[in-house]
Amino acid sequence: MRIEGTETLHAPRDRVWALLDDPQALASCTPGMQELRPTGPDEFEAVLSIGIAAVRGTYKGKLRITERTPPERYAVQVEGTSGAGFVRAVGVLELEDQGAQTGVRWSGEVQVGGALTLGSRMIPGIARMLAGQFFQCLDRKLQEGSP
Amino acid sequence: MKPPVFDYQDPASVEEAVDVLARHGAAAKVLAGGQSLVPLLNLRLARPEVVVDINRIDALDYLTEESGWLRVGARVRQRRLEREGDVRRTVPLLAEAVRFVGHPQIRNRGTVCGSLAHADPAAELPAAAVAVGARLVAHSRSGIREIPAEEFFTGPLTTALRPDELLVEARFPCTGPDWGWAFLEVSNRHGDYALCGVAAGVRARDGRVQDARLAYAGAGPVPVRLRQAEVALVEHADLEEGIRAAAAEARRVLRPDGDLHASSEFRRHLAAVLTARALRLAWSRASTCSGGAHA
Amino acid sequence: MTTRWLGAPIKRNEDPRLLVGQGLFVDDVQLPGMLHAVVLRSPHAHARILRIDVRRALEHPDVLLVLTHADLPPSLREPLPKLIPHPDLKHHKTQYTLAPDKVRHVGEPVAFVVATSRYAAEDAAELIEVDYEPLPAVVDLEDAAAGRPALVHEDIGTNVAAHSVQRVGDYEAARARADLVLARRFVVDRGCASPMETRGVVAQWDPRARQLTVWDSTQAPIPIRNGLAALFGLAQKDVRVIAPDVGGGFGPKIMMFYPEEVLVPLAAMRLGRPVKWIEDRREHFVATNHERTQIHHAEIALDREGHILGVRTVFLHDAGAYIPYGLIVPIVAECTLPGPYRIPNYHAEFRAVFTNKTIVSPYRGAGRPHGVFVMERLLDLAARELGMDRAEIRRRNFIQPHEFPYDVGLIYQDNAPLVYDSGNYPAALERALEAVDYPRWPEEKARYRAQGRRVGLGFACYVEGSGIGPYEGCRVTVEPSGKVYVATGVGTQGQGHFTSLAQVVAEALGVDVRDVHVVTGDTGAFGWGTGTFASRAAVVAGSAVHLAAQAVRQKALQVAASLLEASPEDLELADGQVRVRGAPSRSVSLGEVARAANPLRGVIPSEWEGPGLEATRYFAPPRGTFSHGVHAALVEVDPETATLRFLRYVVVHDCGTILNPLILDGQIHGGVAQGIGGSFFERLVYDDSGQLLSGSFMDFHIPTAVEIPEIEVIHQETPSPLNPIGAKGAGEGGVIPVPALVAQAIEDALDDLELEILRMPLHPDALFELIQKATRRGS
Repeated sequence: MRIEGTETLHAPRDRVWALLDDPQALASCTPGMQELRPTGPDEFEAVLSIGIAAVRGTYKGKLRITERTPPERYAVQVEGTSGAGFVRAVGVLELEDQGAQTGVRWSGEVQVGGALTLGSRMIPGIARMLAGQFFQCLDRKLQEGSP
Repeated sequence: MKPPVFDYQDPASVEEAVDVLARHGAAAKVLAGGQSLVPLLNLRLARPEVVVDINRIDALDYLTEESGWLRVGARVRQRRLEREGDVRRTVPLLAEAVRFVGHPQIRNRGTVCGSLAHADPAAELPAAAVAVGARLVAHSRSGIREIPAEEFFTGPLTTALRPDELLVEARFPCTGPDWGWAFLEVSNRHGDYALCGVAAGVRARDGRVQDARLAYAGAGPVPVRLRQAEVALVEHADLEEGIRAAAAEARRVLRPDGDLHASSEFRRHLAAVLTARALRLAWSRASTCSGGAHA
Repeated sequence: MTTRWLGAPIKRNEDPRLLVGQGLFVDDVQLPGMLHAVVLRSPHAHARILRIDVRRALEHPDVLLVLTHADLPPSLREPLPKLIPHPDLKHHKTQYTLAPDKVRHVGEPVAFVVATSRYAAEDAAELIEVDYEPLPAVVDLEDAAAGRPALVHEDIGTNVAAHSVQRVGDYEAARARADLVLARRFVVDRGCASPMETRGVVAQWDPRARQLTVWDSTQAPIPIRNGLAALFGLAQKDVRVIAPDVGGGFGPKIMMFYPEEVLVPLAAMRLGRPVKWIEDRREHFVATNHERTQIHHAEIALDREGHILGVRTVFLHDAGAYIPYGLIVPIVAECTLPGPYRIPNYHAEFRAVFTNKTIVSPYRGAGRPHGVFVMERLLDLAARELGMDRAEIRRRNFIQPHEFPYDVGLIYQDNAPLVYDSGNYPAALERALEAVDYPRWPEEKARYRAQGRRVGLGFACYVEGSGIGPYEGCRVTVEPSGKVYVATGVGTQGQGHFTSLAQVVAEALGVDVRDVHVVTGDTGAFGWGTGTFASRAAVVAGSAVHLAAQAVRQKALQVAASLLEASPEDLELADGQVRVRGAPSRSVSLGEVARAANPLRGVIPSEWEGPGLEATRYFAPPRGTFSHGVHAALVEVDPETATLRFLRYVVVHDCGTILNPLILDGQIHGGVAQGIGGSFFERLVYDDSGQLLSGSFMDFHIPTAVEIPEIEVIHQETPSPLNPIGAKGAGEGGVIPVPALVAQAIEDALDDLELEILRMPLHPDALFELIQKATRRGS
C-alpha cells in the first residue's frame, strides 16, 4: 500500500534537517516509540507501541536509515513484528526550502502480514493519521526553539 | 482465535465504570454489544489489559424523547431503533440508517453508542450522527461533557473520547417540520460495510429546498459532512439542477481511499450517484410531509 | 401395492438429529484428559527460515509439547505423499508436515504447540521466535510461469510443474478453412469453498492395545487410515479413522495429508493423551486448499453457419505452492470445455505453475466452471460476430441424442477415455428457454427498458463428468429386530446419504426407509473405499448399496421360502414382511427371517453362502458417467452502482435416475448459491507480497438469502447405462455454468455498451471499470 502527503514545517530547512538527523528527537516524535537502541551505523533496534484505539500492538523490530542526502532527502526502513503480525514500511521524506518554512513531501510503502491484513482497508487512513501526529510533533519542537 | 489474557470488570453503575477507566486509562476497553471488540480480541488485534463490561449498568438502558432530543443510553441495542416506532417519527434518518448495520443478529447485540465510539469510517450510524448534528455525552470522574458529532470523530477508529471517559449517551435532535430524510448505501451484499453511504436531509418549503444536510460513510477517514454540496443544492432554484450540483460537488471534494473492494474513483462515483438518489428520496419525503423513513 | 422408496421426495433421516444439535462433529468429540493444539503459521508468502527458537514457548506452564521440523521422526521430515501422479507432472512437489528451511505461502505450518487449552496454546505460539528472511513473492500467474520474480522451488529451476497437451483431430487445419476465428484471453480468479465447519482432527492413542483412533473432518477417511498406518508403522486394522458428521466438504477436505492430520496423531502418540486441533476461520482461509485461478488463451474456428470447426485453448493453471493433488483440476477443465457440443478438432494445452499462494486442489466444479466459462463465452462472442441468435448457435452444434455413447477423444481425470454415456442436450436447452419464455424475451427486455430498468437474460449449457471409479463397497445387514444396517466407506458431508442410500435399500427390501440405518465414513465399520469426491457417492456407492441389498433380498427370499414352505418365486418383500404373493396371511417378518438365517443349532444349507441376512458387494464402474444441464436467469444490473440482482433463476438438470428429488433440489440450490458467490461476491484478493487481503467473512462475501433468488428446478431423467441404478452425479452441476451465465446476462442487460466479460469473478468495482471503459469508448 502506498500513501503520500505533504506538510509544512514552520522552520528553515537546515533546522528541520538537524532535527530529523537526531535519532532521539526523531524517536520522541514517532507515535508509540518506546525504545530506540542503536545497533550500528544508522541501524537501530526499536520497540513501538503502535495502533489506534483498541487496535494496538507492541512491535519489536529494526529501523534503518537507508538514505541521507542533507538537507534534502531522508529515507528509513522499518520492520516490526508483534503477536498480530508484521509491518514493513519504507518511508521517504523530501524537504523543500521555502525560506522561513520547509515543505515536506513524504511517501510510504506499507506492507503488513498476519491478522493485520484484515484491517488493510483502514491502514492508509491510520498511516496518514500517524504521519500527521509525527509532523505536528516535529513542528511543535521546531517552534519551541532548540533543534 | 482466542483472546490473550485480560482482566474483566463489570461495574453496576456509571460511577464505578468511570472509576475503573480512570484507574486503567488506555489499558482499559469498554465492552457493550461486543460486535467489534470481541472479534478484535479473538484476532488478538486488540489487547486491552482490562475489559470493562457495561452491560450490568441498567441506568444506561434508556431510549427517550426529551425537549426535542432523542436520548439513546449506552446500553441501547441498535435493533431498538428500528423496532420502536417513535424513532421513525422523531429521528427518521436513524431508523433508516440502522437497518444497514450488519444483520438482525448483529443489531440485537450491537449498541448505538458502541458503533459511534468504535468510529469505523465506513459505518452507518456515525454518518447519520454527523448528518443530523448529534451530540455525544462523555462521562468521566471529572464530570460530563457534550461533544458535537462532527468533532467527535477524529480519525479511523479514533474519537475525541479520552481514555478515562465513557460514552454514556448519544443525543439526536428530533427532525423539524418540513424535513425529509434518506439513507442510502451501496455494498455488494446487504449488511456489509458501505462501499459508500449517504445520509441526506432536505427541508422543503414553498416547493424549494430551504436547507439540507449531507454526510457520507466510507468516503474518508471519518464520516464527512459536505457543506459545499448542501450549499450547492440550496443555491439552485431548480431542484434537479441543485441535485446535479450537489452530486458534482461530492465527486469533486471527497477523496476516499481505495481498497480491495472499491477504488477511490469508484467510491467518488458512488458518492455522486447516491447523493442524487438520496436527495430525491429525501425531497419526496419532505414535500409529502411524511418526513421520514418508510418501512 | 408395495411402497416405492426410490425416487420419492422423502425428508432426510438425519435431519431431526442434526436440527436439535445432536450431530457429532469433530469439535463435539470430548475425551478425558484431552489437550489442545495450535499451528504456528508463516506470516510470509515466501521466506527463508533463519532461526526458530521455541524455548520461551516450552517454558509456558500449560504447554506439553512444541514441535518444529527438526523434532519430527524421519518419516515425517520428508515431503508428504504424492497423491495423484501423472506422466506430465514432471515436478510433483508436495508440502511438508512442518516447513524445514523455507516457507512458500502465507499459512504454511512452521511449528505445532500442544497445551492444556486452546487459549494457552495460542499464548505459547506467540512466544515462539522465528527469524525470516523474506524473499520476493511469486504472486502473478503469468509472471510465475516466466520464472519471475523468483522460483518457488529453486531445485527444479522453473515454476512450471507440468506441461500437458491433448489433441483431437487437427485444429490448425480446421482453423485454416474457417470463416470466422475468434480469440480471447479469459481469466478465472481464485475462490474457495468456505464450508460451515472448518477442518478439525482429534486423535487418541491407546498404548496398551497399540491402537490409534482419529476423528477427522475428511472426505476420505479410508485413504487417511491407510496413509497413517504407513507413516506410523501400524497395521491398518489398528488405525481407525472416523469422519463423523462433517459440515460441508466441497472438495478441499479430501487431501492426504493436510499436515495437521499427521501432527495431531503424532502428538497424541508422543504424549499418551488425546489431542484436539480445530482450524479457526482465519487459518481456514490460508491453510485449507483453494482453487480456480486459470488464464486461458482460447480460440474458436467456425464456418459462417455457426458450426464449430475447432477450438484451441492454451492455459496456465495456478497450482499454489505445492501440487499434491496432481493435475486433476486442469485436466477436468480441458475435458469439460467441449461440453455438449460436437468439436471435431480440439487442442488443449496447459502449464501447471507454482506460486506463493495456498495449495490448489479440487473445489466443487474442479475445473468445470473454467471450461464452461471459456466455451460458452466463445459461443456467445461468435454468435454476436455472426449476427446469430445465441440459442441457435448452440442448437447447431449439440451432440444429438442418437449419438451416444459419444467419444470426445480425450483422456479424462480417471485415465479413461472421455466417453459421454447418455443425455439429451437439445431437450434440456429447449426446456430452459421455454421456462424463461425466450422467444418473447426481446419484448420483455424492451418493457423493462421502458421502465428505466436494465435486465438481462443469460443461459449456459454444461456437461458434468461424475461417478468415476475405481470402486466403492457396501455391507447390508438385516438384524433380528428387522432393522437394516448399511455400512459403506464413502464419507458424508451433508449430502443426505443417510437417506438416499437408505432409499436404495428400502426399495430392494421392502422396508420403511426410517428402519434403514446408514453408517458412513468409519473405517471401523467398513474399511474399503476411496472417498467422496467427483460427484460419485450416489453413483458408485449407491450402486454398491444396490448390489448388496439385492443380494440380501435374494437370501431373504431363499430363507423365507423354507420357513413359509413356498417357492422363492412366489414370495414378495413389502412392509418389512416376506409374504406369499396373493396370500398375505402367509408371511414372516424380515427380522424373523434374519433370526432364522443365524440359527443356534441345526444346519445352514450350503446355498445360503454363510449365516445371517447379510451381504457385501463392490461396484467398479468402467468409466465416469456424464450429467448435464442448462441454467437460465434474469439478472437486473444497476449500471450506476455496478450491482446485480437476480430476478429469476431456472435450472434444467439431468443426472439420470433420481434417488430423491428433495435432496437433489437441495444439492442444486446450494450449488447455484455457491456459483453466484463465485461469480460476483466471493474473492480471494492477494497483494503484491502474497498476503491474502480478503481473509475473513468481512471481506470474503458469501452471498446470503438476500442475494440468492428463488431457484426453480426442472428435472430431466436420462438414465446412465453404466450402473445398475442408472444414476449420475449431481454434486457440482449447480455451480458449473453460473459464471458463464452471469457474464452473458450482464452483457445482455447492457447490450448497448457492447461489453465483453472475459474475467470471473466480477464484483462491483470491476463491473464499474468495464462500464466506464465502454462508456468512454462509446462517447
